[in-house]
Amino acid sequence: MLPCGTYPRTYNEDKAIVRTRLQWLLLLLFLILLFTAPLFLPTRYIGIIIMMAIICLAVIGLQITTGYAGQINIGQAAFMGTGAYVTAYLAHHFELPFWLTVPAGGAATALVSVIFGFPAARVKGLYLALTSLAFMFIFPFIFLRLPGFGGTEGLSIKPAALGPVTFVGTTSLYYLIMVVSVLMVFFAYSIVRSRIGRAFTAVRDADNAAEILGINVFYYKTMAFVIGTFFAGIAGGLWAYYFRFVNTEQFTLFHSIWFLGMIIVGGMGSILGAIIGTVGLRGLEELITYLGPILAETLPFIGGKVWFAGMNILLGAVIILFIIFEPRGIVHRWNILKATYRLWPFPY
Amino acid sequence: MIGFLQWTFSGVLIGLLYALIALGLVVVWRSGRIVNLAQGEIVVFGGFVIGTFTLLFSQVWWVGLLISFGLLALVGVLVERGIFRPIVGQPLLSLFMVTIALILVFRGVTLVTWGAEPRSFPTIFPAEMVNLGPFGFDSALFWGGIVSLLLVVALTLFFERTKWGLRLSAVAEDHQVAEALGISVTTAIMLAWIIAALLGGFASIVFLNGKTLTLMASMIGFRGVAVAILAGLESVRGVLLAGIIVGICESWARGYIDPYTGGGMSEILPFLIMVGVIIWRPQGLFGWKIIERV
Repeated sequence: MLPCGTYPRTYNEDKAIVRTRLQWLLLLLFLILLFTAPLFLPTRYIGIIIMMAIICLAVIGLQITTGYAGQINIGQAAFMGTGAYVTAYLAHHFELPFWLTVPAGGAATALVSVIFGFPAARVKGLYLALTSLAFMFIFPFIFLRLPGFGGTEGLSIKPAALGPVTFVGTTSLYYLIMVVSVLMVFFAYSIVRSRIGRAFTAVRDADNAAEILGINVFYYKTMAFVIGTFFAGIAGGLWAYYFRFVNTEQFTLFHSIWFLGMIIVGGMGSILGAIIGTVGLRGLEELITYLGPILAETLPFIGGKVWFAGMNILLGAVIILFIIFEPRGIVHRWNILKATYRLWPFPY
Repeated sequence: MIGFLQWTFSGVLIGLLYALIALGLVVVWRSGRIVNLAQGEIVVFGGFVIGTFTLLFSQVWWVGLLISFGLLALVGVLVERGIFRPIVGQPLLSLFMVTIALILVFRGVTLVTWGAEPRSFPTIFPAEMVNLGPFGFDSALFWGGIVSLLLVVALTLFFERTKWGLRLSAVAEDHQVAEALGISVTTAIMLAWIIAALLGGFASIVFLNGKTLTLMASMIGFRGVAVAILAGLESVRGVLLAGIIVGICESWARGYIDPYTGGGMSEILPFLIMVGVIIWRPQGLFGWKIIERV
C-alpha cells in the first residue's frame, strides 16, 4: 500500500524503490545514522553491527534463492565458507587488493554453485535442498585437503588495504563493510524488481504457468541459486577480512539452519524481511550471550551452560511458531501496520 | 582377497544400519511428503534416553529399554500433535522448514537435558566380535543387521497386507483422496512419526552399542537421507538394497581410497552417490515415478 496520492505514470516510476520525498528523507537519515554510528556507539556494538551486516548479505542471498525462487538451500554457510576461502587464498598467496579478492570470491562461489544447482534445477521438487546438503559435507573435505588452503589450521590473511589506508581496527572495517553491504542490498533490491526477480517469483508460484509464459524455468532456477550463492560468497569474503582468519569450523550446517530461520522469521519473499530476520535473531543471540552469565548468577541452580543450550530450543521453537502462526513473517505484520496508518482514519 | 571380502561384508552390515535410518525417513515421507532430516537427531536423542534408562534400571535393563521406547513413541505423538497437525496442507516448503527446526529442537533438548559431554553407551548386544570363518564382525552391527532385515520385511508386510498399512499407503499416494475415503491423514502422520522414533531408538542401539555417545552421532541421519534418495523415497523394501549399495561403496572407499586422500572420502561418498542419483534417476531405484520435469 502506497501513501495517498502516489501513483506511477511511467514504468520507471512504477519500479522505483524510493517513491516519496519522505522516503528519500528517511533513507538519507538512516544512511547518515549508519555511517556516523562509530562516533557515538561503543566498539562492542560496532562489532555486533558488522556481524549482522555480513550475515545479512548471506541471508539476502538465501532470500533470493529460497524466498523469491522457492528453491531451498541448506548449504548457504558452506557457500559463504567457499567465498571466504577463495578470498583468503587470493589475498594470502597473490597479495591481491580486497576490491579484487572479494568479488573473485563471490564469483568463484557462484561457479561452484552451478555444479550443485543444475542437477536439482532439472526436476521439480525440493532437490536443491539435498544437493546443497551434500555440498555442506563436501565443503570441509575439499578445503581441508586442497594444497594451499592451510589444511586444518586454516588460512590467515593481512588486513584489507586501499592505497595508503589499511583497514585494521573495528571502526575502519565498519566503514568498509557497510559500504559493501549497502551496495549489495541495493543490488538485491534491483534484482528482485527487474524481469529476473519477477521470473523468480513466477517460478516459485507456478512453474508450469511460468514455462508457458516463456520463462525458461531451468535457467531461472539455476540463476536464482547462483545469485544467492554469489551473495554468500561476498559475505564470506567480508568475513575473511573481518576475522582475518578462515577455517572450516566457522561454517557449519547449524549456521545454514540459522540463516533459514532468519528468512522465516523475517518473512519469505522480501529483502526487508531478510534484514529484519537477521537483525532480530542475531540480536536475540547477542541478548542471550549477554544475559546468560547474569541469569546463571541470579539462578545458580540451573547452571550456566543451559542458557546457551536453550538457544537451540528457542530458535527451533521460534521457527515452528512462525510457520504455524505467521508463515509470512514479521515483514507481513509490518506491511499491515503500514497500510493501517496510511489509511487512517478510514478502515479501507 | 580376504581383505576385500572383509571390507565388503562389513560394508553390508553398515549398509543395513543405514537402511534402518533410511526407513525412518521413508515412513515419514510416505505419510505426507515430509523429508525427515531430523532422523539423525532422533537417533542421538533416543541414544541418550536409552542410555539413561538402562543405567537407571541396570539390573533389569530390559525394563529400562521398554520405558525408553515408550518415551520415544510419546515423542513421536508429541511431534505430530504439536507441530504437524496445525500445518497439514501447507506448502512443502513449510513442511521442510519445520523438519529443519525439529533438528534444532531435538539438539537443544538433548543439550539441556544431558549436556554436551560424551558418555559411554550401555552394552546391550554382547561386546565380543562375531566370528564367521575367517571374518570378524562387530556384534551389534551383525545382530542389528539381522533384526533390520526382519524389520524391513515386517514393515513391507505391514504396508502391503494389513488394513492400517494400506491406509498409510493410501495417504502416501494422495492426501485428498485418502481423506475422501475416510482415512485420517493426521493419524497416519502420527503413526509414521511413532514408527520413525522407535526405529531411531533401535538404530541408536545398533549404532552405538558399547561405544561413546556424542552429538556427532547425528551425522548418520544425513547418510540415511542419501540411502533413502537412492532407494526412492516411497520404497520401504528398496532401502535394504540401497543401504547395502551405499554401505559397500563406503566400505570400499574406506579400504582403498581413504589411504590416498588422507581419510574422509568414505565420509562424503554417500553424498556424492546422492548427487549422482539426483542427476541420473531422481526417483531413485524403486521410487514412484512422479518426478516432473519442468
